[in-house]
Amino acid sequence: MDLLNQVLLGFSIVLSPINLLYCFAGVVIGTLIGVLPGIGPSATLSLLLPFTLKASPVASLIMLAGIYYGAQYGGSTTSILVNIPGEAASVVTCLDGYQMARKGRAGAALGMSAFGSFIGGTLSVVGLMLFTPVLASLAFKFGPPELFCSMCCGLTMVAYLTSGSLLRALMMASLGVILGCFGQDPETGTPRFAFGVPDLMDGIGLVPFVMGLFGISEVLSNIEKSISEKEIFETKVKGLLPNLQDWKNSIKPIFRGSFLGFFAGIIPGGGPTISSFISYAVEKKFSKHPEKFGTGAIEGVAGPETANNAATGGSFIPLFALGIPPNVPMALLLGSLIMHGVIPGPLFMQKNPDIYWGVITSMYVGNVMLLILNLPLIAIWVQLLKVPYKILFPLILLLCCIGAYTVNNSTFDLYVMLLFGVAGYLMRKYDFQGAPLILGYILGPMLEISLRQSLLISHGKFSIFVTSPIACGAIIFALFVIISALFPVFKKRREAITKEDDEI
Amino acid sequence: MASLIFVLVGLFVCVKGYLLGFGTYHTPGPGFIFIVGGSLLSILSLIDLIITSGRKNDSKKTIWLGLKWQKVILVLIALSAYAFFFERIGFLTSTFLLIVILFEAIESTRWWIAVLGGLVSTLMAHIIFNVWLKVPFPSGVLGF
Repeated sequence: MDLLNQVLLGFSIVLSPINLLYCFAGVVIGTLIGVLPGIGPSATLSLLLPFTLKASPVASLIMLAGIYYGAQYGGSTTSILVNIPGEAASVVTCLDGYQMARKGRAGAALGMSAFGSFIGGTLSVVGLMLFTPVLASLAFKFGPPELFCSMCCGLTMVAYLTSGSLLRALMMASLGVILGCFGQDPETGTPRFAFGVPDLMDGIGLVPFVMGLFGISEVLSNIEKSISEKEIFETKVKGLLPNLQDWKNSIKPIFRGSFLGFFAGIIPGGGPTISSFISYAVEKKFSKHPEKFGTGAIEGVAGPETANNAATGGSFIPLFALGIPPNVPMALLLGSLIMHGVIPGPLFMQKNPDIYWGVITSMYVGNVMLLILNLPLIAIWVQLLKVPYKILFPLILLLCCIGAYTVNNSTFDLYVMLLFGVAGYLMRKYDFQGAPLILGYILGPMLEISLRQSLLISHGKFSIFVTSPIACGAIIFALFVIISALFPVFKKRREAITKEDDEI
Repeated sequence: MASLIFVLVGLFVCVKGYLLGFGTYHTPGPGFIFIVGGSLLSILSLIDLIITSGRKNDSKKTIWLGLKWQKVILVLIALSAYAFFFERIGFLTSTFLLIVILFEAIESTRWWIAVLGGLVSTLMAHIIFNVWLKVPFPSGVLGF
């Protein structure tokens, strides 16, 4: 009964005209960037972060969440019709989706992808609703040492599940923590690394930092390549409603994908991309005709597309329950909450029921909106692929500049954004990953506080991190993850998992 | 080479952290986290440096090969100039010039398309951010 009241509270919030508008804007923008290859949800979230500051926390979170899960819907369209994944999470959809399109079954592939996304997205919201309170109640047992070790473990997992060298990912996580701790000391107020610049007294701003690292660097990386006109597979998209045989083949992959995706989303470093790859591998293993995979098997579309949407719901659990973001988009959502003065954690649900239930119920509404947007309006989204990049990129750069300036009305932030834009561009060139850097930056201040509090409690003894079972377990797990990467068997497995994932 | 930069960055952070104050293990000072983080960064970077320097690496040469990196430099110069002139000549003028230059820098277009694009984008940005969202943009010496 209590749950029902809270759900009703959530719907009363999300169904207000302004929140509905934000939800709609979120899912439309999400689908748009999902359709357009080259612009990921992380870049878009960082781009729009400053523009949500004037809205209420619940409205801005509803919109940002909409962008995140909306992008997963849109990503499949380009995978199926153009064989270019709009998102990293839709890479695997190309394998069978495009082959289906070539056989004249683009409609069924797009339809099943949208229905699978809807079912996976909706089921994951149910899971989110049920699991977050459980984890939040467990989180009450978390003191500073447990929090510190959990955050270290989370950072290690993100580094592990990021493509490229684990060593470099850990380096970036350390650098992120250092950069995140710039600014006044939380206890004494001593300015740190301000270099006499007043704008640096509060540290490096989140918005110019992420805009530079994701927005500017993404555009820079794209413009140096030859911009070629995209070839859209000329086929009439018809029969968007899958037939009975399609449903028979897809129903099990959809439910397996929902389950897998949801739990892959909870794991730090996991998320839509990894879940879609796991789902594809699982479906191939479960299939009676694995040889058909890669030639246009609908299971190869239904499973991964469901899983990547289910993962978005799962990703919210560690954020809402522990205040620990499992991936970059969630870290940006955490940044948005912090900028609004809201701190997620075990008490988040009790202190901010409007935000928690408002966001959860907005996902139900958003998923319905996405189903409507992605089925009948598919032709419009396909046309968007024809927007030339020479128009798109200048506008993105302009948005980055305006966004960075508007937070503090300071041109200093423009320089900070440019600096991190160049840094992000060079990092991509030399295989240094951005995801652990941004997570380290966001978690840095919390890591510092929990480390200092732990040492204060234990009178300077580091044994506090091994005497608590939760803290000890997290540390052992993190160490196991690092050590396992040294062994060839695990190393190969890690490379296989993270092969296409460069945007978590 | 890149790892060497991070080794030096880590060492710099350690020194700055030490100057800020390590404190004690019981009551860590403002520089404590920087010494821990800087040390970790230096050690990891040093290991990476040793591993990568022992490897034959041809990718260094190919990183910039076949890419239009000159475009990147042009765009960066345009953005730096935008940041520099933003408050001096005002939002409208600097934004218009930025868009025109970006249109040309990213892919050469006819001049009138670039000018038209600059005008439309500036006008849209003005309506959305200045008029609607009431963002106080600088007007600069030209007064607009």
